[in-house]
Amino acid sequence: MKKALVVLVLLMMMSTLVFAAGSKETAAEPAASKKIVIWTNLTADAQAKVLRKQFTEVAAEMGVEVEMVTISFNDMYTKLATAVESGNVPDIMHTNFAGTAYLYSQDIILNMDDVIDKIGKDDFISSYLHVLNAEGKTWGIPDWALHTSVWYRKDLFQEKGIKIPTDWAEFKAAAQKLNIDEDGDGKIDVYGFPVPLNAVQVAPQTYYEFLYSAGVTTFDPKTGKYTFGSQKKKAVEVTDYLIDLYKTVSPPSSIEWSWNEYRNALVEGTVAMTLDMGAVIGLAQNNNPEMVEKLGCFDLPGQFGNKPASFGSGYAFVVSNSGSATEIETKKEFIHRLYTSERAAERALSRPMFAFPSLYSALEIYKQSPSVALFQDQIATISDAFENSNWYWYGMEHGLSQMSSQIEATTFFGEALQSVALGMQTSVKAVDFIDQQLQEQISIIE
Amino acid sequence: MGNLRLIRQDRRFRPQQQTLGIIFIIPMVAFLLVFVVYPVLYNIFLSFTNARLIKKDYSFINFDNYKKIFTDLRFLTYVKNTVVWTVASVINRKSSGTGLRSFLLIPYVVPAVAIALVTKWVMNGDYGIISYWFQTLGLIEHRQSPLAIPGSAMAVLVIVNVWRSYPFPMLIYWATLKGIDKELYEAASVDGAGTIQSFLHITLPHLRDTTIVLVVLRIVWTATYFDLPWLITGGGPAGSTTHLPIMIYQASFGTFQTGYASSLSVILGLSLFLCVVFYVRKTISNDSGR
Repeated sequence: MKKALVVLVLLMMMSTLVFAAGSKETAAEPAASKKIVIWTNLTADAQAKVLRKQFTEVAAEMGVEVEMVTISFNDMYTKLATAVESGNVPDIMHTNFAGTAYLYSQDIILNMDDVIDKIGKDDFISSYLHVLNAEGKTWGIPDWALHTSVWYRKDLFQEKGIKIPTDWAEFKAAAQKLNIDEDGDGKIDVYGFPVPLNAVQVAPQTYYEFLYSAGVTTFDPKTGKYTFGSQKKKAVEVTDYLIDLYKTVSPPSSIEWSWNEYRNALVEGTVAMTLDMGAVIGLAQNNNPEMVEKLGCFDLPGQFGNKPASFGSGYAFVVSNSGSATEIETKKEFIHRLYTSERAAERALSRPMFAFPSLYSALEIYKQSPSVALFQDQIATISDAFENSNWYWYGMEHGLSQMSSQIEATTFFGEALQSVALGMQTSVKAVDFIDQQLQEQISIIE
Repeated sequence: MGNLRLIRQDRRFRPQQQTLGIIFIIPMVAFLLVFVVYPVLYNIFLSFTNARLIKKDYSFINFDNYKKIFTDLRFLTYVKNTVVWTVASVINRKSSGTGLRSFLLIPYVVPAVAIALVTKWVMNGDYGIISYWFQTLGLIEHRQSPLAIPGSAMAVLVIVNVWRSYPFPMLIYWATLKGIDKELYEAASVDGAGTIQSFLHITLPHLRDTTIVLVVLRIVWTATYFDLPWLITGGGPAGSTTHLPIMIYQASFGTFQTGYASSLSVILGLSLFLCVVFYVRKTISNDSGR
């Protein structure tokens, strides 16, 4: 009897072990219908706080339960890939346009045109919608967008008598003038312009702003055909110019700099200009308020003046296509309620001058906020660029493309550019390597 | 008579004991089958396919993944980085430590993320204290960071890794040293042996098995260690700290090529297996030759 009991207990333990995974899956099924799970990459405190507040408000309005999960940007593709593989994708995801492209390529999100119509399509800045378009449909609802500009020290420009540069030659000359040895010890204390080349995302972001300024794209914006391979000569020129900037006007350690380093450098006054999406303002407001009014921005000029496009992106809400018709309707309604002008403006204002709301009505509220009061000219410049210029995120020149997430999740751009900066290979070889890698990514996607 | 009864009782109980023994080991065998044997076999299987995380379908491509690996010039660089990283970390860790044990245990309980953040902070070219010292001593340029220079970035990683994982061998050696019979030293002393002779002829031989195990474990753990290099340098600058685990990670979650990543991990696994077998056999044959 005792032995039989021992055997029984052991068998029960084994069955628990072996079938643990299965039972978890079955248990998760009914829970998903009761609760809306939302993933967001916004782990910055201020943004996450506003999102959580709004999600809680909307959940209370609708009488549903909501769970917000923050996924750091660096872990996004790892988590998304495993979630897609295991079939446990969130109900709603708040992610960047590249993340949206990835989810679209996996065929797991809904087209959101009906919700956009319900919110009011005319109120959306049309270029925001265009980025999320594929096959004539819109696969996410743009929340806000960011635009890369050159943020600079107005006081130093004035002190050195520098005018806003209109082409690359002027830009380099301005940066050289801004290499400042403050204490006369023969060492540069303020560098003109950092070239951050951290291989994880930052290097391609820096490089693409210059590529777009010179007219080089991954894909043809009109036809969607791969074009980088046929523009290699131009890409070499861009690489040479960028590395020249690195060697002459950028701190040597910037080869490893990521977002924090170059933003802090401007805010702390150890560089005079930097490419950025405006996050320097929030950082200055928090860490060095005296610097805020000294900062201004201008669009990086084109190679010879005329600029074909800029680097920019944004965040969107996407909805998974899993679940019953009722569940899908609930998710869509949840999103719809997030798009009042006030809520859209509040989300963008959680990161002032970095995030620009997707609704015209929200932009009006945004402009009146005290946190951006000093930057009306800059808001006008950036809003104008959003509406009247071309802006793309790497690989998304022709709309949603998984190439964007492939570039974002790999480090080959950084590796190639760092090699040139360190004199380990020529710019021609680096561009050949980038071309070969891009073509390999295309073959993987296809 | 009494002994005979005992033997008879043993025989009578053996089949039941065996059954019970088998039942007891079934959970572990099931665990190993599910979490070790199956993943390894599946990994080998995937290495002969063009499986990708972003596509459900895949096909067999024979040895194409392996051909691609061995024709990729970067692979050799990354193998070299892996060898430097592993060998430097293992060799530097072989010395044993005694005093200040509690203090020395600190790095073992600090999370890799915290170590990485502190390392990046102190190595920052603008405000990092270590970079500042190096700049002041003229070892690196003004506003340069050791993490932005290929050779020194790897050196920093190795030093941090040695510091982080030092306590484990220290504890094991300490436990082994405590287990050596003190009478052996007393006897050696009576026979006129000095400290060095006692160390060479008593302490070291007693540490031999521990050292073999530690070196094997360290080779495997270090060669497959991903966290610190990824968090501190991300494999840079210019791929100078990219080792095979980073390459595998990039292939899996960067380009989503699970088949290719599987081939890389098979190569890494096989190389480690061969290294370990070679090392253990070499050590045993050296000892038996003495």
